[in-house]
Parts: sequence; structure tokens; C-alpha cells
Amino acid sequence: MSDLLVQEPGPLTTIQDLGRFGHLRVGIPTSGPMDRDAFVLGNRLVGNPDGAAGLECTLVGPRLELTDDRLVAVTGAEVAPTLNGAAIPAWQAVPAKAGDVLRLGPARSGVRAYLAVAGGLATPVVLGSRATYVRGRLGGLEGRALRKGDRLPLGAAAPGPARRVRPRRVPAYGAEITVAVILGPQDDRFTAAGIDAFLSGPYELLPQSDRMGARLKGPFIEHTRGHDIVSDGVPMGGIQVIGEGQPIVLLADRQSAGGYTKIATVCSFDLGRIAQLKPGGRLTFRRVTVAEAHAMLRDSRRALDAAIE
Amino acid sequence: MTIWPEPRLLPCGDCAVSVELGDEVDRELNAHVLALEYLLQQRGLPGVGETVPSYRALLVYYDPLVLDYDTLGRTLRELVAAARPEVLPPARTVDLPCCYEGELGFELDAAAQKLDLDPAEVVRLHAAADYYVYFVGFTPGLPYMTGMPDRLTIPRLQNPRTKTPPGSVSIGGIQCCIYSVESPGGFWVLGRTPVRMYDPQAADPILLRAGDHVRFHAIGRAEYDAIAAEIAAGHYAPRIGGAAR
Repeated sequence: MSDLLVQEPGPLTTIQDLGRFGHLRVGIPTSGPMDRDAFVLGNRLVGNPDGAAGLECTLVGPRLELTDDRLVAVTGAEVAPTLNGAAIPAWQAVPAKAGDVLRLGPARSGVRAYLAVAGGLATPVVLGSRATYVRGRLGGLEGRALRKGDRLPLGAAAPGPARRVRPRRVPAYGAEITVAVILGPQDDRFTAAGIDAFLSGPYELLPQSDRMGARLKGPFIEHTRGHDIVSDGVPMGGIQVIGEGQPIVLLADRQSAGGYTKIATVCSFDLGRIAQLKPGGRLTFRRVTVAEAHAMLRDSRRALDAAIE
Repeated sequence: MTIWPEPRLLPCGDCAVSVELGDEVDRELNAHVLALEYLLQQRGLPGVGETVPSYRALLVYYDPLVLDYDTLGRTLRELVAAARPEVLPPARTVDLPCCYEGELGFELDAAAQKLDLDPAEVVRLHAAADYYVYFVGFTPGLPYMTGMPDRLTIPRLQNPRTKTPPGSVSIGGIQCCIYSVESPGGFWVLGRTPVRMYDPQAADPILLRAGDHVRFHAIGRAEYDAIAAEIAAGHYAPRIGGAAR
């Protein structure tokens, strides 16, 4: 048996793949990694398909034991990974042997670290995905975060080359970020001053943020007539502004629908940067058009495809 | 009821668009939304991803690397013109047992007092109505419904609860909902159904669908417990039948 044994789980370590699709219409969120690019690069480094299941670790990583020889890769937040106590590089595939102990430490920069293991995690597929949705007790391992003593089965892995991400392509997770937004769908429910305030910022990320949403605090965003709407679908990255005039960016485990005005939506290629912003970090929104966003998305995918050497 | 002569296509970031057909809670308007979703799914346009219907809008996710925004917009406008409720398959009626007694209906008495009705009359009125499911969501499997007689229209709770047990059948404004997972709530809990709106262990975890009709029938506590035990053992299925439109 090829397993990953959980010696210490870390505060919130979950199994994720690229997400569960087709069930938003009945309220089941997509889930999946909060930082898609870091997750995908991890898989590519160890020779997995982009959608192979791996671990998302939050703030502090787990300690894990391997039961056979595998390539592993740590990406995302800077967590000073070690193998049997010796430092190993992140953003690079590293060969590990049966009995080796892999440890991901506390995040020095960034919030979410990813561990990819060649062959991927072979936990049960639920509604087409292995992603964990903790609130709905769905997917992953029994629908929950990892615990000490868990055994995670691994898929079959073919030996491959140990790749690495080009050093200049390794992201730096700063304490101040700017993310692209497209105004709407309810930008007409805000005053000009409200939209100016929103686009001026900056907004501070609050510690209550989680996989459902990033709660922010900053300049007051003024509505024209209240914050209630006839409930509609909540897009990924949708920015709700509630009664206090403060924004919440809705993320991977968000509710599928809601009754609050949404001033704008964060573009898909910038969501990972919000996922890596620490509480207290500052965020500024920059308005782009749909056409600009699509060009930026193409550039972002090209950069991802060119990241590994 | 107002269905706008032209839909509003509102971008929701770089990967989704909301198609708004109106701005009200209205069955006819909602049926147009569901018809649009149905036609879009049938069209099978490459690059169209998930769809999320709600009262008066359809949220459409798409992959802009496969499908450009203008083509998507043209297709959606064309489908809106054809999206009439008649295209939808026949609706289902789902019959749900509901126990309005004691701790399961822990706000029945308070709601009755607020409505200036006898609790038994609230139960009679609530259980006699035909409910329509506009859409399902917020939490997995939660139905957004109306159908109550006007006499049961009630303001939402002043101070929302932090925890509502799953299965709680509750009312607020003109709406009725059934909580699907333990969650905060601002509706008055009149009773509880032992039937699960969301069962993560099941092959198909979600019971209700947009467009369904729901009927409640009042049961006593002993029957509630018996059905709950059958559900836990996997031996119970609610009655699901056809319905007139």
C-alpha cells in the first residue's frame, strides 16, 4: 500500500483538486484550491495532471510520513519544508523515500501552502471530485480536515524528471496587493462616491476570513438605496457590500446565492493573490474591462505554462 | 409581474455573466429563468460551465479561453427570446412529513402570537398550502419557496439565531424555507421534517430542485422519530409525484 501518513495535521489541512463542478445550482460550492496557480504548478512539478488531488495547508503545515518512494513538491506559502529534518527547496520536485518524514512549517509569507505527491491522493471521488468542502462534510477524507493518524492512499506514479519552477517565476507574497475587478453586477446600487471609495481603498484583510470569503475593512462604500436585493447567484470572487459599507470577497467555499448587493467581481487570475494575503495585509482594487480581463487571463495562463524548467 | 422586454447581461468577473430577466419574486418570471437554463443546457455550447438559477436571474459560468464573451452574449439573448415556461419538463410534487410539535417547532407559539392566530390554525394553514421551489441554494439543498396564504406573512426575526437545526421548516416574509445544514437563521421555525434536504452520504445528496412543488403533511412526534429512524437506516423515500403546472 502506498499511503501518506499524517503525523501532525496542522490547523486546517484539506484535500483539494481543481473542484467539484455541476452542483452550484443546488448550493454545493466548487471548493478546490484557494490559490489555483500554486496548486497546478505543484502537480506539474511531480508529473501529475493539473487536477490531481493534493493538500492545501493553512498557516501551518502538516508533518507526514511516506510509505514508498515518491516525488513531492511544496508550492504556495513559504513554509520552510524539511525532509527528515533537512531543509528542502520549495517550488521544486524532490525525491522522497519510503519512511521519510516531510514537514511543512509555519507560513513566513503567504497563507496557503500546497503539497503535491506524484500519483496524487487517491481518496474517494464524491460527486466527481476529491475536493473537501468542510461545512458540507463533503469530499476529501470523510468531508473534514486532516487529523493525526489519517492514512491518505496515493495513486500510481510513473517515475519522472525532478522539475523546478524558474526562480524568477516564483511569486513573492507581499503585504500589499492590487487585484483586478470588473464592476457589477450591482454597481448601479452604489453612489459615485461609494464606487470611488471602493476603487481607492486600500482595504485591510480581517482575520475572520476563510475559504468562504475574505472579509475586508476600509473606506466606507455608500449605497444608493439599501444593501438588499432580490437574491441572485454569487459568482466566484463576487464582492458583497453589506450594511456597514464594508466588502466581502466570496471565494471557493462560498454560498451559491445571496441577497446582498455585489459591487464588483475579482478576476479569476487574481483570486490566488487574495488567498495568500495575511490578515492585516492591504488590498487595492483596480477596475478593468471584460476584454482587458480576458487578455490578462490569457497572459496569466501563458506565464503559468512557461513557469517550469 | 414584470419581465423586462430585453434581458440585462451583467458581467460577474471574467468567467461569469448574470442574465437578469426582471427584479421581482414571481413564479412566472422564475419559470422563464428556469426555461433559459434548460435551453442553455440543451444547447450544449462548448465553454459554458455551471449555471445557477435564482428568483429572477441566471448566473452563467463560462471559460473565456474557449468561448468569447460576445458569442456567449448573442447566444443568451437568442435563448432568452425562446425561453418560455412551456419548454420545461413537467414539475414534480414532493410530499414532506413535518412535525409541528414541541421542541421541533420551537417558534410555532411565538409566531402564532405574532400573527394573532391559534397555533393549531397556523399549522393547518401552513400544511394546507402548495409551495413552489424557485431555486435551491445558499447552503446545499436549501429550497427558496413561497405559497403560504397571506395570513401567514410575518416579519423576519429581529435577532437571527446563530444555529438552526437542519430540517427546520420555517417562515419569514412571504417565504418558506427548510434549513439544510445547521446554520444561522432569521425565519420562524414552525416545525421540522425528518427528510434530509442534503445528505452528503447519499449518491444524490440533494432532494429538491428548482421548479418543484412541495406539500407538507403534519405528523406527530412518534411518527417523526419512526421516519427519522427509517431514514438513518436508508429505508425511507419521500413521495414524489407529478404536478399540474
